[in-house]
Amino acid sequence: MPPKAAKGEYIETDTGNKISRRSQIHGTQHIILGGKTVIQGEAVIRGDLYRTSTSSSASGDQGGQQQPATSTPSVAITIGRYSYISKQAILRPPSRLHRGVHSFYPLKIGDHVFVGERAVVEAASVGNHVHVGRDAVIGSMAILKDFAYVLDGAVVAPGMVVPSWCVVGGAPARIVGEVGEGYGVEGAEGGMARERYRLVGR
Amino acid sequence: MSRPFPYAYISCPCADTPVPDPARKRRSRETSHKSNPEDPNAPVPQDYDFEDERTFDPRSPRSNFSLYPPEQLLYCEDCHQIKCPRCITEEIVCWYCPNCLFETPSSMVRSEGNRCARNCFNCPICTAPLAVTTLENVTAGGSQQGPWVLSCGYCMWTTLDIGVKFDKPTNIRTQLSKMTDSSRGRQMSKTFSDLKSPLSTYSSIDDQFPLPSEIRGDETNPATEQSSGPLNPEARFQALKGFYKGQIASTSSSPNDPLADFGAGFSSPGALNRIMSLYTSSSRLGNLYGGTNKKPKSKPPVMREALTTSEGLRVPAPDTENALIRRMASDDCGWDGMASIEQRTFQSPDARFVEDLLPLPVLLRTKRSKRCKSCKHILVKPEFKPQSTRFRIRLIALSYIPLPTLKPLVPSPFAGLPSVTPAAAPNLDALSPLKTVQLLLTLKNHMFDPVRVTLATPSVTPGRVASKVTILCPQFDIGANSDVWDEALQGSSAPGDARASRSGTLGSTEKVAEAGKVWDKGRNWTTVVLEVVPGTLPGGGATRRNRMKQHDDDNDDDNDDSDADSDANVNALDWSGQTKDPNQQLQPDEDVLEIPVFVRMEWDSENQIDQEQSVGKGQNSDTVKRELAYWMVLGVGRISSEMGF
Repeated sequence: MPPKAAKGEYIETDTGNKISRRSQIHGTQHIILGGKTVIQGEAVIRGDLYRTSTSSSASGDQGGQQQPATSTPSVAITIGRYSYISKQAILRPPSRLHRGVHSFYPLKIGDHVFVGERAVVEAASVGNHVHVGRDAVIGSMAILKDFAYVLDGAVVAPGMVVPSWCVVGGAPARIVGEVGEGYGVEGAEGGMARERYRLVGR
Repeated sequence: MSRPFPYAYISCPCADTPVPDPARKRRSRETSHKSNPEDPNAPVPQDYDFEDERTFDPRSPRSNFSLYPPEQLLYCEDCHQIKCPRCITEEIVCWYCPNCLFETPSSMVRSEGNRCARNCFNCPICTAPLAVTTLENVTAGGSQQGPWVLSCGYCMWTTLDIGVKFDKPTNIRTQLSKMTDSSRGRQMSKTFSDLKSPLSTYSSIDDQFPLPSEIRGDETNPATEQSSGPLNPEARFQALKGFYKGQIASTSSSPNDPLADFGAGFSSPGALNRIMSLYTSSSRLGNLYGGTNKKPKSKPPVMREALTTSEGLRVPAPDTENALIRRMASDDCGWDGMASIEQRTFQSPDARFVEDLLPLPVLLRTKRSKRCKSCKHILVKPEFKPQSTRFRIRLIALSYIPLPTLKPLVPSPFAGLPSVTPAAAPNLDALSPLKTVQLLLTLKNHMFDPVRVTLATPSVTPGRVASKVTILCPQFDIGANSDVWDEALQGSSAPGDARASRSGTLGSTEKVAEAGKVWDKGRNWTTVVLEVVPGTLPGGGATRRNRMKQHDDDNDDDNDDSDADSDANVNALDWSGQTKDPNQQLQPDEDVLEIPVFVRMEWDSENQIDQEQSVGKGQNSDTVKRELAYWMVLGVGRISSEMGF
């Protein structure tokens, strides 16, 4: 249960997103929130690390955001409905050195996703109903399919694919088991997203 | 105890069902005897005779095997029973690679050695997946050509470390298997060169392996034998297997099945006859038992061992061991150059150094359908496609039994004791002993029929740490899981309040838990209050034990049975046998407050079997009264050793 926040800690948007005033969100124009998303305090969301359309002039270091944004703002991070980003979690778009150019790729997060405290997510895609445990690290360009479960403190190697219903843990993460068939049922384990959302900011 | 507090586990009844076979029951008693050899007077065996009356003890060693989180349980509609992973059988629906998520046809699985045949590899050093990357760091516009390597993004290992490069970024596995055969400078003998993948250690060779007669043909030709060098381990294994098959076929008296399995020639009754004849035909025994009358039998042919490399023999060079040791001791190898035991388990047995480790093709995973073990009805059937998360059939227990959720009830500053600081939720990881905690237990019904639930719990939890438990309203109804809009329309007046009281954060300002009344009720859920007085931990000091004694005396007044029960459990508790003085030391997780709750649910379900007969017989005959009962364990929290008054 989250502790009672000071009054007005969360900004609630029209679509029901609850965003802590203490969160650090960069490059808001490159972030899409699906609605009813919770972003807790001190969470860092790096929307400023978006992919630049012209790859020739992009510098190899962090970002290349000195370039003016092109006419169509590219999306760096997409987060689905009822997803929950805990305190001090970091969402950072994945990057790759491709043909000698360091460029960023969009980070897509599905619905009902839980990202634990102090977790670092650099995945290429995170499916629906995914649980990312506390202190977990999801490496660059990793793919977490629907109903994947990342245990606390796991380090998912860059480029790893976690299939649906699989539980991964350890460093580097390996598939250590499977969640039960009832995982993700509303109200049960994996289906607490709505309840979590309701409790935020009360 | 793998979940954070509070949690609820449900016990599958399969662990408690009386075993019909008396021999098995006896065996289980014996094993229970064996488990506590120091304490022969332990009352454990007697417990099994009163299976039904016994209170479920979440701390008993057997409970480990029957408690499951609710979402892992299935429900068989035919048996009307909860089914845990132990009461089902599984059938493989498809094989797929967890890395590329491509399906492998079942016909290919064995020949590929249960491993992905594409570009998916795991790092031999750290087991992280490897990525195919180009060595040529061509800038934009340059053509993506040149050598390719597999590289690990986790430990930065690349195949360059073992001197392997690939010409093209596809079909890495075939390239690698070709390379490992040739790069090690070993010419395979002709017989085995048609193998698809020498990497596949576990693949079946039966279909690819030549007849034993061919091997014998090789034997007769010393020229090819000389030319063939030492084989790699996989080929050698196959050679040996083939060789012994040939030997069995040639030595057994009836070689009608030369391709039979390895052991078949020996386990067959024919082999037994042969062994028996060894005894009877031997001269001395034969004389003793009057065997002189029998005809002297021909001496059974003797099996020989492999003699040549093509038969699988490998004679290590005389200084191999010394060379290995010297290499280990040399400065450029060191500890880091040695392969660890974990790394070696997945490699060829000859791999001793890090340079010998090869990338491992990813092991396949399976999608499985599940059946009830007793009635063979299918309970879970996933869709065939590996990427799909849907199910064709999914009978999970959560659609039948009410979903339990436990929340601490936050004492309100108004109704509760006058306190300066606003009341906070009790810290479940450190519950103070003898301080009452109120909990909200919500049961949510997923069935389309209303359910009547009766909860029962022992007044004192089993075990040495005796906590008092009271369910304020043990009997209640839960509404049917009807239209979602019903709740929205009914509860439109104060929907926020209902939800808040369920979560226990708000709404408790007016409410005080009352005995015999449900705390709150919704469309398909009901919340009741549990009152728990955590017990004191043993061995915390003299004063605390005195207090414990008082507590026990209290129990004595209340309930003689429970006291006896807890006494028995004190005796039974040293099953681990780790502590010298069990009174002084706390067993692992003994401070966890777990409450066994017996749930009995009754409902009227539609009669599906004989519907035609019941038509016109009134309302009652349309429905069938069903009931289901099971034990559930609520993990409330951990009792701290300090008094928190």
